[in-house]
Amino acid sequence: MTEKDQSQIFESWLTQYKGLIFKVVRAYADISLDQDDLFQEITIQIWHSVPSFRQESSVTTWIYRIGLNTAIKWTTRKKRNPTEAIESVRHVLQESRTEPDERLIWLYEEIHKLDAIDRSLTLLLLDSFSYKEMAIILGISESNVGVKINRIKKQLITKSKKI
Amino acid sequence: MEFDELQKVWDSQNDKPLYAIDENALHNRIISKKNKGRHISNISEFLTILVNFATGAFILGINILKENPNISMYLLSAWMFSVAVYTLVSRSRRIKNDNLFDRSIRGDLFHAVSVANYQVKFSRLMRWNILPISLFMVLSVMESGKSIWLAVGTSVFLILANYAAGWEHNIYKTRKLELEILRDMLENDKQGELAAG
Repeated sequence: MTEKDQSQIFESWLTQYKGLIFKVVRAYADISLDQDDLFQEITIQIWHSVPSFRQESSVTTWIYRIGLNTAIKWTTRKKRNPTEAIESVRHVLQESRTEPDERLIWLYEEIHKLDAIDRSLTLLLLDSFSYKEMAIILGISESNVGVKINRIKKQLITKSKKI
Repeated sequence: MEFDELQKVWDSQNDKPLYAIDENALHNRIISKKNKGRHISNISEFLTILVNFATGAFILGINILKENPNISMYLLSAWMFSVAVYTLVSRSRRIKNDNLFDRSIRGDLFHAVSVANYQVKFSRLMRWNILPISLFMVLSVMESGKSIWLAVGTSVFLILANYAAGWEHNIYKTRKLELEILRDMLENDKQGELAAG
């Protein structure tokens, strides 16, 4: 694959699946500086991954796989070196100015409280991925996915009743 | 809420983008990356010219003063002078190109990508430059009848230098990629705005 082909595929993926990357970024990074950083890191990994995409899975699954694995590694690294919030710096990614849905904000806050793997599972669950796909994306067994998903679902439903 | 409702809440974000790009912040980041690239290029060029010119002159001087001058050392010295001259010419071309870009966000971005491209090409060239230098060095060691182990040691050192140069080259490639991603983000955002009317 030439670099030109790689760039063309990357650009079309970025146009089509930008929203998906934003979901991962928002679920894993809470301050703007980190969101910029994680967005950049995921997009770089996606660019590198273009030549290895063999169409054995859908592009959505592929991008989720790259995005979540990058975000999990990034979270581990961030725990060791947390970012100091520098509010005076302007950030490239700005939260959209459209009226925020309080329930969506609550949902992201709840996702943030989960550990790195559970966050990934919740994102995939909410985007209607099958247990099998989740197991492939995250490299864990299907039965393990089932156990974790049941727990996460119960937890979210119980907490949502309090709001 | 039941899980179906949670899923509906989740799906609601698919119709509206979560983030927008702050163009001023993007512009500042581009300028900072561009300046960093230019600064590093200046240092790399300066060091390449100085090291190649000084080493070339040193090797030439030593060889002239030797009883039995070594042809490989003359070639090595000539090669190093050529690299110094080539770098000087590339540098003046690069500086001349600075005037081709305007100070708009797009202009600065293309300028930054052009500087990054220059760095990638320059570091690739300098990496390959190790090859002829290695050849001339090993030949001169053999020509002067020194121990084969000296030639082996020199080769190992040059292989390590090549590895380090490859590592440096990858850093420049990643920086170039970061700029291209910024460019794609900007283009994407523009397309999104046009589509939204």
